[in-house]
Amino acid sequence: MGERVTAERVKAFAAAARVPIDDDAAARAVKAVEPTVRRMAELDLQLPLEIEPASFVTIARNGAKR
Amino acid sequence: MSSVEVTQALLARIERWQPKLNAFVRLEANEALAAATEADAQLARSGPKGALHGVPLAHKDMYYFAGMPAGCGSKIREGWIASQTSTVIRHLEDAGAIRLGALHMVEFAMGPTGHNPYLGPARNPWDTARITGGSSSGPAAAVAARLIYAALGSDTGGSIRTPANFCGVTGLKASYGRVSRANVLPLSFTLDTVGPLCRSAEDCALIAELIYGEDPLDPVTAGASPWNKAATQRPANSLKIGVPKRFYVDDLQADVAAALDGTIALLRKLGAKIVSLDLPDPKPIDAAAYVVLSVEATSFHAPWLRTRAQDYTAPVRARLQSGLAYSAVEYLEALRWRGPALAAHLEAIGDVDIVVTPAARTVAPKIADTDPSGANADAIKEMSAFLRPMNYLGLPALVVPVAHSAEGLPIGLQFIGRPLGDETLIALGCALQKVSDEHLRVPRQE
Repeated sequence: MGERVTAERVKAFAAAARVPIDDDAAARAVKAVEPTVRRMAELDLQLPLEIEPASFVTIARNGAKR
Repeated sequence: MSSVEVTQALLARIERWQPKLNAFVRLEANEALAAATEADAQLARSGPKGALHGVPLAHKDMYYFAGMPAGCGSKIREGWIASQTSTVIRHLEDAGAIRLGALHMVEFAMGPTGHNPYLGPARNPWDTARITGGSSSGPAAAVAARLIYAALGSDTGGSIRTPANFCGVTGLKASYGRVSRANVLPLSFTLDTVGPLCRSAEDCALIAELIYGEDPLDPVTAGASPWNKAATQRPANSLKIGVPKRFYVDDLQADVAAALDGTIALLRKLGAKIVSLDLPDPKPIDAAAYVVLSVEATSFHAPWLRTRAQDYTAPVRARLQSGLAYSAVEYLEALRWRGPALAAHLEAIGDVDIVVTPAARTVAPKIADTDPSGANADAIKEMSAFLRPMNYLGLPALVVPVAHSAEGLPIGLQFIGRPLGDETLIALGCALQKVSDEHLRVPRQE
């Protein structure tokens, strides 16, 4: 993460998703998501390459034991 | 009492409260009385069908009943008729429950306050100028006012726990993957859970016993264990309870801080071992949860965003449009971090069984101060700050009422379990409610 969110980016993603969005709505979306994207960028995730979303299930099952 | 007598008593109570609370979106009085009559006849004929024989229930209006409408708090789903019944509803019906109607919710379950410009807001029975919390607004208001015995809600970022907290009822957010969400309106496939809002932890256990376990219609329940009743009997003096040192205890309203301290003292008296915990910073967890929720909600709603965007209310449309702003890599990184984030949480809690936190920093705010169409976005997001991380981590959590504020509003605490440790939460909730009568307090009609 870390790429700055812009209205152009939102409009490009919306076009790819075939969802119409006007300039005001794109600007509102930028304002809404920027703090979250910034926070995630600051976290600078160093994910092990092999980690996939389903790893969560194994960790949860192992964590149930104590 | 017969089922008919119980149903009539509840209908009379609903008639008095509904104009003040807006808890029901549909009341099916005649159908409920007919079902109650049949339940009484069946009881006389062949005994009870199950644990809920003839008990009237109602649920958040996003549970599908074949042949019945499920408006989901929206204009888009107005008049839509479900073709299938939710698996969890089938389990309750198999145990003999009857249907009293459908309950208020935030539009498409997107919001923690209980506002709904389309239906009007649900109102808190303890003070009708205040929010119920959402998005399971109707279930919490109806259970608190004793209009029903129990209701199913859903929790993607606190939607059972926030209203349970603000309305003074007991609410169980299940571990991710232990309860089927089949034929319940989705919001975020990764974070969605369903569960009961009830008058007590014991009642939550009664519902949980019926709805937990594997369901071929919901793949995330593959291998899920059924409810383990024996584990709910675990004594409080065998439990190690953690209290976070930071964030969850910072900037609390004085009444909330006192309720937390008082409950910890009570748990200590019950013999539980209390320890302080350094939990990982919840803010990044919250951010990752937000990315996942936003993108998945937008994906689900994309067909309607393409064709019926004008039929959403402005705040919900804006939230869905903001889900378009994240890249695929950002979404997948947020998903991939879920396991490592849970591992860090588990490392921090060590052998602690349950973490105790407040459910919110304050009691229920006023409806006028939290309108999502106003400039209240940060305050509204903050409302779920203690709750949303548990959805991302997939952990079970129980909210129990533990005190009332000086102005008479309920204050709840959140018990957070180990992964899949839902029954241990009930054990502690029941132990607490044996020595506290907070869950028995009932709001008086103004």
